Amino acid sequence: MKKLMIVTVLISIFLLFSVASFSASEKIILNFIEVQTSPDRTELIKKIISDYEELHPNIQINLISPPYEQAEQKATMMLNSNQPLDIIEVKDLQLKQFVSSKKLLNLESYLKSWSGAKTLLPFTLESARVIDNTAYYIPELFYLKGLFYRKDILEKVGVNDIPKTYTELFDVCKEITDPSNNQYGFAFRGKAWEYVYSDYIISTFLDDIDVNNIYKKTNGELVFKDPRYLEGLKLYLRFYHETAPKDSINWGSNEIVNGFISGTVPFLFQDPDNVVVFNKMLGEDKYGAAPLPVGPSGKAYFGINVAGLSIPSYSEHKKEAWEFIAYFLSPEINSYFLKNYGALPIHSVTYETDPFFSTKVYQSWMYMMNHPETHVLVKYPMDSLKYVGWAKVHEADMQSLLLGKVTIEEVLNKWTEYWQ
Amino acid sequence: MRNKNSKFFLIMLIPTFISVILLTYIPISKGLIMAFQNYNLYDLSNIHFIGFKNFQEVFSDTSFNFLQILLNTFLWVIGSLFFQFVLGFVLALLMTKPFKGRGLYSGLVFYPWALSAFAIGLIWAWMFNGQFGIINDILKKIGLIHQNIGFLSDPKYALLSVIIANIWCGIPFFAIMLLAALQSVPSEIYEAAEIDGAGYFKRLFHITIPYIKPTIINTTLLRTIWIMNSPEIIYAMTSGGPANSTNILATQMISKIYNFYDYGQSSAIGVMIMGILIVYTIIYLKITSLKEFSL
Repeated sequence: MKKLMIVTVLISIFLLFSVASFSASEKIILNFIEVQTSPDRTELIKKIISDYEELHPNIQINLISPPYEQAEQKATMMLNSNQPLDIIEVKDLQLKQFVSSKKLLNLESYLKSWSGAKTLLPFTLESARVIDNTAYYIPELFYLKGLFYRKDILEKVGVNDIPKTYTELFDVCKEITDPSNNQYGFAFRGKAWEYVYSDYIISTFLDDIDVNNIYKKTNGELVFKDPRYLEGLKLYLRFYHETAPKDSINWGSNEIVNGFISGTVPFLFQDPDNVVVFNKMLGEDKYGAAPLPVGPSGKAYFGINVAGLSIPSYSEHKKEAWEFIAYFLSPEINSYFLKNYGALPIHSVTYETDPFFSTKVYQSWMYMMNHPETHVLVKYPMDSLKYVGWAKVHEADMQSLLLGKVTIEEVLNKWTEYWQ
Repeated sequence: MRNKNSKFFLIMLIPTFISVILLTYIPISKGLIMAFQNYNLYDLSNIHFIGFKNFQEVFSDTSFNFLQILLNTFLWVIGSLFFQFVLGFVLALLMTKPFKGRGLYSGLVFYPWALSAFAIGLIWAWMFNGQFGIINDILKKIGLIHQNIGFLSDPKYALLSVIIANIWCGIPFFAIMLLAALQSVPSEIYEAAEIDGAGYFKRLFHITIPYIKPTIINTTLLRTIWIMNSPEIIYAMTSGGPANSTNILATQMISKIYNFYDYGQSSAIGVMIMGILIVYTIIYLKITSLKEFSL
């Protein structure tokens, strides 16, 4: 009798719980993975999510935030093994890989019926459609390099004009450089996506770069064997040898920002998301931002890096996922998010009306986006399978060149062969 | 009666066999197959056999010279193993006799073993930092150097720096294992040797080491395999750079996946590592079982 009583009680408790969880499961749970994790940014996203959940009580969004160094790999693993995922943040570099393995949803139909699409920058739509001319992700922010400089340090050494060309920049950096006082000029990026920095400087020596592929000229030839490219590369090497600390061959993102904040190097190419960091650590009066300098060709070529939001093709809540994405990417939320994060927003209306994004510091990026006669937007060949390992190959070759282990001719031949 | 027992034992072993096959042998076979395929995550639609092409590409890579990778691997393993063993052994010898605070001291000495190798790499990377590193600071203060050394950015010093971090990381393993072995040597033998007039070093080389020989062989073999296979410290400190100067087989294998998404070439390197270690193990065990080395 006692045993029967106990069993009955247990079964009723079990039934009670299953009924309770059954009704609780009426809520739709969306899994959202971010790949640009940083503590402040994650807090921002969580706030936006909780606001959204208040407006939509039947939706619960579960934010997955792996550490920055491993986030891309984690997202790749999750997608490839079909783990439950409804919203995924994708970096432009990863897009081709995900589309090839058919893991991302075609978002064109959603885009057509979205009112927010009307106020998007032309950049935004172009960037969304970079693979197969189809929107597989919607950009949520842009990274665009600008020239940051330390106002206080330059004043101290008597430099009043911000360099507008690379020759001027080199001369100023050389003048300031004083190794015995640990004072150098240029924040040299030696590792981890360092090719972007060298490309920006070297390509300004040419004026006929193909806007669809920074490594080609308008006549279809690769740039590496052009004598002007050689001149640019030589100047780039001089920046390392004569205006930067030897250690900078190993400087990645953290180290160059560190060098700028500590004052070791008063000139730095970086993205606008550092504005928030610099405001906090230096204060608005100690630094400024200028457009990227132009080269002897009178032009500056630059690329835009994009992070966007997408929906896995196997998601079971595609409609709900899109509704959140449309909310997150609306002009108001996008501007709120990026005001606190610093990267560039995706709607043209934000630049025209938002008080933060029309301030002095952002004017340099506005200048770059509004003066295509000097500042030309170019694309990297992200569609090519060769682009995948290019960062690592370029880094190894450039480091060998800087260390004098190979000659310039050998490197240029190698790169030409690589892209052939 | 006997038949029933052995059948029972066999059945009890089946779960173990199944898990070993599933978790070890099937992945190994998959890896072996991938080494001969063009398995690239960017183009999964066209996977087929390509013979030895992966191996050829690894051998002839112009940005990551294979001979240098082999040399780095050799120096990394030998350099780390030798000092880990010697320093670990010295530590174990010093701790055999009880002293005040031995328990606490043991805890501190064995602490590195509890840390993740990646975290150890990050800490040492900051210590070796060329601008703000504490090692540069100390060396300048005691007058050994006058200008900062870029330990991790100068190919001359990079490999040495990662090896030093690895030595610190691996000493506890030898200290623990050798201490346990030392404590199993019967003390009567030492007493007899002392009576016969044997000094410290005679006792060490003629009694202690022969007695703990099996432990020494096992630990050095295991540790060699682990050191050869561990990319975490190097990955955290230099990711194989600058210019391939700290790249070993294991870090190149990881780089092929994380930077190139090329599972085919990565598996080829994995096959090479496995081949080297199998050959090494066979030779090592043969040599150490020779008469000259036995008790």
